[in-house]
Amino acid sequence: MSKTVRFTFDGEPQTATGSVSVAAALTGAGHTRLRRTDGDSARGMFCGIGVCQDCLVTIDGRPNRRACMTLLEDGMTVETQAARAPLSGPAPPRLKAERLSPDVLIIGGGAAGLAAGIAARAEGAEVLLLDERKVAGGQYFKQPARADAPAMDPQQADGAALVARARESGVTIVAGAEVWGAFDGPEIMASTATHVYVLTPRALIVATGAYERPIMIPGWTLPGVMTVGAAQTLWRSYGVLPGKRVAIFGNGPLCAQVALELSKGGAEIAVLGETAAPGWTQPRAVAAMALSNRALAAKGAGMLAGLRRRGIAVTWRAKPLAIEQTGAGLTVAYQAGKRHRQVTVDAVCLNFGFQPQNEILRLLGTAMRFDARFGQLRPDRSAVMETSVPGVYAVGDCCGLGGAHAAMVEGRIAGRAAAGGSGPTDKESAELSGHRRFQDALWQVYAADEPPGIEHATPETLICRCEEVTCAKLDDALKAGGSDIGAIKRATRIGMGRCQGRYCAPVLAAYLAGKQGRPLEDLSFFAPQVPIKPVDIATVAATEALLETPPADG
Amino acid sequence: MAEAIDLLIVGGGITGQSAALTAAGAGARVAIVDMAQNVGSHANAGSLHVQMQSRFLRLNPHLAENVESSLPLYLAAVAEWDVLDEALGGVELTREGGLMLAEGADQMAFLREKAEREAKKGLAVDILERPELERIAPYLGPNIVGAEICRDEGKVNPLIANRKMNARLSALGVRHIADRIIGIEAGDGKPAAIGQARHKAAHILIAAAWGTEALTRSLGLRLPTPPEPLHMNITEAGEYAIKHLVQHAERSITLKQFRSGQVVIGGGWPARQNGVESTPRVRGDSLLGNVALAAAIAPGIAGLRVLRTWAGVNTPVDGKATIGPVRPGARVSLSLPGDAGYTLGPIVGRSAAEQILGLPSQIDPTPFAPNRWYD
Ligand SMILES: Cc1cc2nc3c(=O)[nH]c(=O)nc-3n(C[C@H](O)[C@H](O)[C@H](O)COP(=O)(O)OP(=O)(O)OC[C@H]3O[C@@H](n4cnc5c(N)ncnc54)[C@H](O)[C@@H]3O)c2cc1C
Ligand SMILES: Cc1cc2nc3c(=O)[nH]c(=O)nc-3n(C[C@H](O)[C@H](O)[C@H](O)COP(=O)(O)OP(=O)(O)OC[C@H]3O[C@@H](n4cnc5c(N)ncnc54)[C@H](O)[C@@H]3O)c2cc1C
Ligand code: FES
Repeated sequence: MSKTVRFTFDGEPQTATGSVSVAAALTGAGHTRLRRTDGDSARGMFCGIGVCQDCLVTIDGRPNRRACMTLLEDGMTVETQAARAPLSGPAPPRLKAERLSPDVLIIGGGAAGLAAGIAARAEGAEVLLLDERKVAGGQYFKQPARADAPAMDPQQADGAALVARARESGVTIVAGAEVWGAFDGPEIMASTATHVYVLTPRALIVATGAYERPIMIPGWTLPGVMTVGAAQTLWRSYGVLPGKRVAIFGNGPLCAQVALELSKGGAEIAVLGETAAPGWTQPRAVAAMALSNRALAAKGAGMLAGLRRRGIAVTWRAKPLAIEQTGAGLTVAYQAGKRHRQVTVDAVCLNFGFQPQNEILRLLGTAMRFDARFGQLRPDRSAVMETSVPGVYAVGDCCGLGGAHAAMVEGRIAGRAAAGGSGPTDKESAELSGHRRFQDALWQVYAADEPPGIEHATPETLICRCEEVTCAKLDDALKAGGSDIGAIKRATRIGMGRCQGRYCAPVLAAYLAGKQGRPLEDLSFFAPQVPIKPVDIATVAATEALLETPPADG
Repeated sequence: MAEAIDLLIVGGGITGQSAALTAAGAGARVAIVDMAQNVGSHANAGSLHVQMQSRFLRLNPHLAENVESSLPLYLAAVAEWDVLDEALGGVELTREGGLMLAEGADQMAFLREKAEREAKKGLAVDILERPELERIAPYLGPNIVGAEICRDEGKVNPLIANRKMNARLSALGVRHIADRIIGIEAGDGKPAAIGQARHKAAHILIAAAWGTEALTRSLGLRLPTPPEPLHMNITEAGEYAIKHLVQHAERSITLKQFRSGQVVIGGGWPARQNGVESTPRVRGDSLLGNVALAAAIAPGIAGLRVLRTWAGVNTPVDGKATIGPVRPGARVSLSLPGDAGYTLGPIVGRSAAEQILGLPSQIDPTPFAPNRWYD
């Protein structure tokens, strides 16, 4: 039996059912406005995975808590977060400090990290796995927050089995553990709600996955506009729909999959807009996809058939142009082929590709190369997934999009190698190249005419959602002679906000490179700096107790 | 052929820019040549220091006399910032004063003696006991027993100041040349700065901070300018409550809040650097130590999160500015603030430019002449 949880939001009593995040509970109760910005706009849950920092609320008097990453507890007092929290909150809880040196440390408990953990354990290594989410499983296997909830479908059941296998094999999984610091050594700093850690492993496997790339159009920051993955997490992990009537726009198979899932959950899919042209216009790529992985290709075809059965037509060559809050809801103006259309919904979901979470790798100084096709940096890796920094391995989507199946094979190879075992078997190499061929063909099918850049953005479009910097302000800074990305940042504050440039940096880097006719490279992006995610001052203070030598107080 | 240059400034940080502002404002044709590497002015925290920094005194007891004798220059420097704030159209300057905190009787005694010495040099300083301090700084922790307040101190937002300074210099027609200068030719004719190209001018002003040492060796000076890689932290925005620049009588810390609500924590914790021209990197122990110290003295900030850290290069030299021609009558001059370079940069740059152009000077530059560096 799911129990009822009581809490208040801005003083009003609320209830939620079962184990849910604060963001899911509020969404379920019809509250999407969670914080005010400095410019006095309302913001709400956007990414759903702890990246965007727009879901901040004050919980039991403590400001700046992420609603999407905090599990609701009975009796919680939740309040809208003011733009600037008072400096008089309650004293933070006491945190226990621990220094650990596991044989293998894995950051990220998705497909890649779990597979790596199992493989490293099989070689006898002592393995510690950290994941910032409350439940391991990652994006593909998105697990329900309630341990006893039945799996929704085979994908979730496979995930549950994988997590169970990792635990049984003896991988120590610490959930709710966010890695915020990475220094040479490697020396890793992490924290949970109760503990802080300094970790100096013999080998490190980074398996931090990806986050979603939005499209920057007027209104993309409105409450109720979220990433497709955020909507998927609401539904798959917490059983809450983003709204009754939903519009989904994006590029790639995730949009169709989530449309189907939400529809099965009872939502009305008002539009499912795909940037690419329909698959039947590219028979060659479709054939290549089917050849490289029959099962996955069949799964995709089944998904489209499922959509048709539910009366959901894909609008191909679709592109959202602007979103506006109207009396009736969120009104999206969009392009469908050459026609202009409009739709009004409760929630708008966007996914225009993925961006690898490679901050830890960049901080540790691993050599990176820019992949122009996917518009992302990828680390150089050996056959056993080791980066240019000895003892630091990288697997899965944090190395650039590869999909969950490739992530698992990479994880297995790296886990074994990091524990001192042998290199990839022929079977693994063959599997991996099969998965890569599939991904390659998949993204040819979904090739969009233009990447979601800001070349055509209107002047009022926000490029930096945190610091509320418009395209017009960016162009002014460019005209004033700003050249490198650091200068633009200092001149406009683009990238200085709470998401630490995760959304603006990739588009800005591409925009600058395009204007200057330069190729993109590691230096085109903001210089990586700690903390990897905003970190509580109280967490830092508690971690200081772990310093082995007294502070280097000049 | 490019237009002739009256004044070529090597180094485009706050010092070089301030010199350019003065010279271009007086009608000179000015160019700045810069290699855009380890620009202290882009890394600094915008504290306007006046009172003697306990950190500098502790690290360099032998230079205490230099610092003390420079106090009038610091007063002129903050007055110059008032002028700049006005001229640039607002750089979030506030002059609400700076607190130096004490945690015990011995530290209070140290501050009392320091305040007495500073008052003699014309600083507006007072000693505050706990109750009075609590009224103006309620965010402080219970261990703080009192403080020295220096009412001349304040802060600016360096991001805004730098942006507006760039815009103003462009409007005045100051040229920007990207080049790395490897030597200065100071013969009998026009001097030249040698980089990828030869940059000739009627006069050259070196405002190259850490780069000064290498450029002045061939000019007969032995002027050590070792870079000091330093660490900074910044939090997300909170309600504007920390109005003062906050320091400590014995520990390394500067704590303040920008008008935008972000708390800036620094105070000279070390960063890591491999070689003069490499970009410094943040050290984990500095991050932990610096932020933990801030949380201990100002527990009110514990609800905020650290958003970012960075490392930059400071050029403390000998705790005293260097201003003026390398030799009397020479056409190559120096402008090197010494410690607290962002505070001192504007007055040092202006004064150097005034000497070169023969303009009446705001300050008497004689004590800061480069002659103490003759080889
Ligand atoms: C939002 C989203 C939804 C997706 N949905 C689907 C889908 O439905 N179907 C499909 O086929 N593919 C989907 N994908 C792609 C697929 O999930 C990935 O290919 C696959 O999950 C890759 O596995 P991974 O282990 O590399 O990364 P992930 O599964 O993303 O796992 C990474 C893990 O690392 C953790 N992590 C990241 N940073 C830190 C940190 N600093 N500290 C601690 N932990 C950290 C995260 O919490 C996460 O659990 C999705 C991707 C995203 C981003
Ligand atoms: C983290 C940090 C925080 C600080 N906080 C404060 C503070 O709060 N208050 C304060 O008063 N001071 C502070 N400082 C000190 C202050 O930033 C510097 O002292 C000041 O900015 C120096 O200004 P400058 O113009 O003299 O030199 P810089 O700003 O360092 O500029 C020197 C310039 O010279 C150029 N250059 C050097 N060599 C060459 C060459 N050979 N060819 C071409 N160009 C060259 C460089 O590219 C650079 O642009 C801080 C310093 C750091 C690192
Ligand atoms: S929605 Fe919570 S951080 Fe993005």
